[in-house]
Amino acid sequence: MVAPARAPLRTDRLRAVNEPRQVAVEVNDDGSPAALKTLDGWTIGLLDGKIETIGETWRIDDEWWRQTISRVYWEVILEGGRRVVLFQDLISTAWFIQQP
Amino acid sequence: MSQHPTSSLAACVWIPLFPLRCEEERQDGLAGFPTALLAPDTTRKLWQVSSLARHTGVKPGMTVSQAIGLCPTLRLIEPDPVHYDEQFAYLLSALAEISPVVEAAELGLAYVGVDGLRGIYGSAGKIIEAIRQAVRPSDRPTVRLGWGVGKFTAWVAASRAKPSEAVVVSLGEERNFLASQPIAVLPLDTDTHRRLRQFGIRTLGALTTLPEAAVTAQFGATGKRLWQLAAGRVVERVQGRVEPEPIAAALSFFSPVGERELIVHALDQLIARALKHPRRIGWRVHALRVRAELEGGGSWLTAHLFKEPTADAVRIAAPLRVRLEQSPPVGGVERLVLEFTGFAPGTSELQLFARDAQAAARAGQQRALRGAAREIRMRVKRAVLYHIIEVQPWSRLPERRYALIDFEP
Repeated sequence: MVAPARAPLRTDRLRAVNEPRQVAVEVNDDGSPAALKTLDGWTIGLLDGKIETIGETWRIDDEWWRQTISRVYWEVILEGGRRVVLFQDLISTAWFIQQP
Repeated sequence: MSQHPTSSLAACVWIPLFPLRCEEERQDGLAGFPTALLAPDTTRKLWQVSSLARHTGVKPGMTVSQAIGLCPTLRLIEPDPVHYDEQFAYLLSALAEISPVVEAAELGLAYVGVDGLRGIYGSAGKIIEAIRQAVRPSDRPTVRLGWGVGKFTAWVAASRAKPSEAVVVSLGEERNFLASQPIAVLPLDTDTHRRLRQFGIRTLGALTTLPEAAVTAQFGATGKRLWQLAAGRVVERVQGRVEPEPIAAALSFFSPVGERELIVHALDQLIARALKHPRRIGWRVHALRVRAELEGGGSWLTAHLFKEPTADAVRIAAPLRVRLEQSPPVGGVERLVLEFTGFAPGTSELQLFARDAQAAARAGQQRALRGAAREIRMRVKRAVLYHIIEVQPWSRLPERRYALIDFEP
């Protein structure tokens, strides 16, 4: 008759979605990405290869009032036609892959 | 069918935040935390908010992310409108034991027609006490009761009552009582409320000092009704519902049947047929009777009163199967007749109170989903299912927009 009590949703069980995953990137002389190598996650090895085309690029600067976030995003087409979005963290200079 | 019974003297039973109370009643300890129910039609916004959560600044209509920002320990609960409807149906059934005239207004708000009840209970105080006893023990500390002529006066009285107390407006005192009440007690839309305040009208008394024609000219038919309610000129009677007449389904056998399994099968068929009867829609079965005409002129009769009214074929059949096992007919059955003789308000109708039928349907789907999730969790022994909720959908940082939260039945 009555469904058993359900556990309430609790904020301490929130998990982030679409967190950036670090990747290794070879860069061209102008700083644009030239080749990609994944380091972990289920896509490891799947996306490795040269970057064929660079599409849009944009920059995000945010949260300067606490811990500055500064990123340059690159939309790229890999060899084989797969589209991915990379960004370089301008604070740590590390590269990441992330869905925009 | 006879006409709907009505009553001009009304008692208003109001349990504020009824859905939230239902959740607190079925989850031990929940009342000690700041909690909020998500809206049935959109899970991004809050529907009802507990007083503890209100103290932190959380309000109904806020988005989840706003609320979490204000109160990080806030417990969010998915709505279960079908469960709230069921609980409300129990309340209506209990009130129907006191008076035959019970009208449901919305979840947690019902009117009881009390005309003529003094002859049974004595004073108004005793009737109010009987009504209070009909409310679930867990709701008694929060229920507010109002008493007066017409639904509006009774509602205003209930809205002025403190938790677990009653406000009685004696006959002839309506006008004085209503005059001092704020205009917010009227069934107003926000625009009319704003306009009335702009005119400097703060109380029902101030509204009724204006000529009725002037209010009508300014606000139209709505204004006329508001003026009449404020002046105590209209008495909206409590409209009871008439239970449907008994529903019967019968089956005649070509040759007398003695095998119990066959009779059980025939009963299942009759139950299914009677449940499909149009008169049954909106009602759950409270009492039934089965009679069998036996070979050679004898008969067999059994009746059952359900403690919890139901519209579920399996639950209706269960006591009949037991009776057939314990004391079956003593001869071959030639004709079997099933009658639903008593009814209680059913959820299919009450679901209308759960905001809308779509929300109720969604709640049904969620219930099925919860069953499946429970099954998966039992098999894999860990949480593998999550909800996606919007946290900061406007954020420029993609990882801030959504979050996962455990999906637990």
